Amino acid sequence: MNTANFGLEDILLTSPMIVLFLFSLVPLTIKILRGNVEQVHLATVIEVLIGLLVTATLIVVFGSEGQGGSPTAFGGQLIFDGLTTWSSLIAVVITGASVVLMYENPSTRGPQFSELMFLTMSSLLGALILIASINLIGVFIGLELMSLSLYLMIAMSHEQKISKEAAIKYFVLGSMASAVFLYGVSFIYGTTGSISTVDLMETAQPLIQGHSNLFIFGFALVIIGFCFKVSIAPFHAWTPDVYQGSPTPVTAFMATAVKTASFAAFLRILASKGIGGSDNLLNLLQWLAVITMTVGNVAALVQNNLKRTLAYSSVAHSGYVLMGVIAVGISEGSAYPAASVIYYLMAYSLMTLGAFAVLSLIERNENHFVQTDELAGLAKSHPMLALCFSVFLFSLAGLPPVMGFFGKLYLFSAAINEGLLWMALWGIINSVLSVYFYLRPIVVMYMKEGSCTSSKENYGTTFVVVVLAVLIIVLGVVSGPIFNMVERSLG
Amino acid sequence: MLLSLLIFLPIVLALAVTAWPQKTTLRYLALAGSIIEFAVSLVVLLQFDKTSPALQLVEKHMWVERFGISYFLGIDGISMMLVMLTTFLTPVIILASWKSIDERIKGFHASLFVLQTAMLGSFLAMDAILFYTFWELSLIPMYFMVGIWGGARRIYATVKFFIYTMSGSVLMLLAIIFMMRLTPEVTGGSISASILDFYKLQIPFIAGDFFTPQTLLFFAFALAFAIKVPMFPLHTWLPDAHVEAPTPGSVILAGVMLKMGTYGFIRWVIPLFPEAAEHFSWLFIGAGVVGIIYGALVAMIQPDVKKLIAYSSVSHMGYIIIGLFTMNSYGLNGGLYQMLNHGISTGALFLLIGMIYERTHSREIAKYGGLASALPFFTIAFIIVTMSSIAVPMTNGFIGEFLILLGSYQYSPWVAVFSVTGVVLGAAYMLWMVKRVFFGPKGEIVLAAEKDSHHALYDLSPREVLVLVPLVVLIFWMGLFPNQFMNYSKTSVDYLIQNKNQYMLLGAGER
Repeated sequence: MNTANFGLEDILLTSPMIVLFLFSLVPLTIKILRGNVEQVHLATVIEVLIGLLVTATLIVVFGSEGQGGSPTAFGGQLIFDGLTTWSSLIAVVITGASVVLMYENPSTRGPQFSELMFLTMSSLLGALILIASINLIGVFIGLELMSLSLYLMIAMSHEQKISKEAAIKYFVLGSMASAVFLYGVSFIYGTTGSISTVDLMETAQPLIQGHSNLFIFGFALVIIGFCFKVSIAPFHAWTPDVYQGSPTPVTAFMATAVKTASFAAFLRILASKGIGGSDNLLNLLQWLAVITMTVGNVAALVQNNLKRTLAYSSVAHSGYVLMGVIAVGISEGSAYPAASVIYYLMAYSLMTLGAFAVLSLIERNENHFVQTDELAGLAKSHPMLALCFSVFLFSLAGLPPVMGFFGKLYLFSAAINEGLLWMALWGIINSVLSVYFYLRPIVVMYMKEGSCTSSKENYGTTFVVVVLAVLIIVLGVVSGPIFNMVERSLG
Repeated sequence: MLLSLLIFLPIVLALAVTAWPQKTTLRYLALAGSIIEFAVSLVVLLQFDKTSPALQLVEKHMWVERFGISYFLGIDGISMMLVMLTTFLTPVIILASWKSIDERIKGFHASLFVLQTAMLGSFLAMDAILFYTFWELSLIPMYFMVGIWGGARRIYATVKFFIYTMSGSVLMLLAIIFMMRLTPEVTGGSISASILDFYKLQIPFIAGDFFTPQTLLFFAFALAFAIKVPMFPLHTWLPDAHVEAPTPGSVILAGVMLKMGTYGFIRWVIPLFPEAAEHFSWLFIGAGVVGIIYGALVAMIQPDVKKLIAYSSVSHMGYIIIGLFTMNSYGLNGGLYQMLNHGISTGALFLLIGMIYERTHSREIAKYGGLASALPFFTIAFIIVTMSSIAVPMTNGFIGEFLILLGSYQYSPWVAVFSVTGVVLGAAYMLWMVKRVFFGPKGEIVLAAEKDSHHALYDLSPREVLVLVPLVVLIFWMGLFPNQFMNYSKTSVDYLIQNKNQYMLLGAGER
C-alpha cells in the first residue's frame, strides 16, 4: 500500500487546484468578516480573476512539456500530461470570461454574488480534478464536485420559475447519471480488481475480446454516465431545458468549461483502448455520435428561442467531438486524434462562449429570453456587436478561415485517418444542415428592420465578446502552430 | 509579393472604407482604390510571360505544417484572364452603384472589396485548402449583398443561394482531405495540399465501377463546381439570387462568381481526374445541351426582364460546360473565352437593366414598349450588348461560341447540332425582348413619362456613359482581335491538354 507517501512534487503539481481552492474561499471569507454584507461586486470579480490568473500561470508552469513520461501525483491518482494542461487551461480561461459575464448579467448579480463566485470556482476545481484523474473514483469525485456546484449556480438565478425547474431537472437526472457511472465503476472493479484507467489500458482489451459480459456491462455504464454529462443523444433531453433555464453566464460556463472537462475525462477513459476490441461497442458509439449530430442540428432548425438554438447546437457539436473521441479510441497510439479533439474543444468553447456572451448583453432583465426575431436591427444599433456575433455564428457553422473551420478540418481528417469516412460524411452533411439555423440570427440582425439594443454599460462583457471574436479569427488563421503545440504536448 | 498585394489590397480597402469618416467622399475613395487594384493587375499582366505554361509569380509559404497546407499562390494563363475580368469589373460596378445603392454604403463597399479578395484568391490559390478557404469566403459578402440590398424576396433568395452553394462545397472539402491523405505517395512521405502534388497523383479508375476513388472524388469536386456554374439541373438558386440581388450584386454574380465554377472545372476537375472526366463527359455535355435549350426556352416566356437575363445565363453557362468537357483545344479555348464574354456581356446587360430600373422602377416587359424614342442612346448601348450576347460576328460572343461549336463538332456532330439550336433560340428571345421593350407601340411607362414630367425619362448620364463605354469597347475589341486575349491563355490550355493526354497514356501503360 502506498499510504501517505507524497512529497513536495505532488504539492507543486497539484498547486493549481490548491491555489484555486484557496482563492475560492476569499470572497466568502471577506463577506463573513464584513458581517454578512456583500462587498462591491467589482472587488469580488477582481479577486476571482486574480485567482484564476494565478491558477492558469501555475498550470502553464508545472504543466507537462510532453517529454518523457507524464508526472503523476499522489501515487498515481492524478496525471499531469498534455491533455490535463490544455483542457485545464481552456477551462480556466473560459471560467474567467464567464465570471465577467456573471458580473454584468441581471440574473446573476445581486446580494449572493460572493456565493456564486465561490460555487463557480468550486465547479472549476471539480473540473480540474476530473480532467487530471486517472482513477475512476477520482473521476467521480471531480464530476460530483463540478455538478453539485453547478446545480446550485443554476438554482441561484434571480429568475424565479424556469431556473428552479432547470435546477431540479438537472439535479435529478445528473444524480441518476452519476449513479449509473458509479454502478459501472463497481463492475469494472469487480472484474479487473482495479479502478485506474492506466490499468484499464492493459486489462480492458483482453476482457472485452474474451466476452467478459460483466466488464462490458460496467464499461458501457461508465460510457453512458459520460454521454449524459456531455449530452450525447439519446441522453441529451435535459440539455435544452437546463440551458434555457440557467442564467446565461452559467449556461455559457456549463456549455463550454464543463463540457471540455467532461470530454477530456471521457477521452481518457476511451483512450484505454477498451472500445478497440469490441465491434459492438464501437458501432454503438459511432451511431450515437451520428444520431447526436443529427438530432442536435435538426432540432435547432425549428427553435426560435436563441438559447435553445445554442443548446441544440451544443448537442450537435458534442456529436462532432464524440467522433474525434472515437478516433482516439481506435487509433494506434498517435497523438493526432487527441490533439484534434482538444483543438476542436478550444474552438467550440470560444465560439459558444462568445455567442452566449452576446445573448447576455442583449438580455434586459432576468426574465427576458431572447428570441431570434428580437435581434432585428442590432446591426444598425450595434454594428460591432453584430459583426462579432456573425463571426461566432460563421465559426460555429464551420466556414473558413476561422477556428470552427479548422477545428472541423482537423477533426474530420482524424476520423478519416482512422477509417471513419462515413462518420466524416455525416459530419459534413450535418454542417450544411446547421448552416441554416446559424444564418438565421444573421439574417435577422442585418436584413430586418427593428430596434434591438443592448445595455451600454456592460463594458466587461463587450470586451470579452470582442476579444473572443479576434481570438477566433487569429487562432483560426494561425491554427498550424497552435495545433503543433497541442500535438507535441500530447505526444 | 505581387499576387499577395493583388489579393489583399481589397481587404485593406474594405477596412479603409469602413473607417472612412465622410460619407460623401467614400465612393471616390472606393473608386480610386478599385482603380489602383486594376492597375496592380495590369502590372501582373505586364510581368506575365504568356509563352510559358508554368505557374508564375509563385509565392509559397508553409501555413499549417502538420497538414502540408501552404500559402501557395501562382498565376498561369487560365487564371490571368479571370483575374483581369475581376479587377476590371469592380470599378465599373462601383461606378454603376453610385446612385442605386444609397443606404449602408460603407457596408456595401466593404462587402464588395471582401468579395473581390475572395474571388481573386480562388483564382490564384494553388493549394487546395487555401482555395477552399477563399471559395467559401466568397459566399459571405455575397450573402450580405443580396440579403441587405436586395429586392422583396431577398432573404429567401440569399439563404437559398448560401445553402445550395455550401452543400456542394463541403463534399469537395471531404474530397480534398481524402486526396491529401494520398499525397505521401508522391511527395515521399509528407502530406501536402499543393495542387502540383495533387497533379502527380494517379488515382485508380475503373470504367464500369462507380465506387472507385477517382469517380467518387470526381463527383465530389464536380458537384461543388456544377452548383456554382450553375449547371442544369442544379441551377434553381440562380434565377432567385439574380432577381433579388441589387444590380451590382447581379453583375458580380454573373460576371465573376459563376466563373469560379467553370474555373474549378479547368483547374481542378479535368487535370486531377482526367479519366473520370472523359468517361463522364457525356453526362456534363448532355446537361450542358439541355441547359442551353431549357434556359433559352424558359427565358423566352419570362415577363420580368431581369429573370429573362438570369435564365439566359443558365443557357450561356451551358455552352461553357460543353466547351470544357469536349476537352479538345477548340472547346477549352472557346470555353475560357466564353467565360470572359459572358462576364462582360451579361454583366453589361444587368447594368443596363439596373439603369432602366432606376428610371422606371419596373422590370416588367409588358409595361415597357417604345423606349427607343425616349432613350435613344440607351437603346443603342442595349442593342450592342444584345448583339454580343447572341454572338453576332464582330462581337466577342461570336468567337467564343464559334470555337465551342467547333470543339463540340469534334466531340460529336450531334452535340453541335443541338447546341446550335441554342444560338437560334438565344437570338429569338433576346431580339423579341428588345423589340417589346424598345420598339413597337408605346407602353405604359413611356406614355406616363410623356404626360407627366415627374416620370420623365432621362437618357444616359455622363456617369452611365462612363460605365458602359469600357464594356462596349471590350465587346468589339475582343470580337475583332481575339488573339490578343487568347494568346495569354493558349499556352496554358495546350499544356493542360498535353498533360491530360500524357496522364491517360501513363495510366494505360500502368494497367
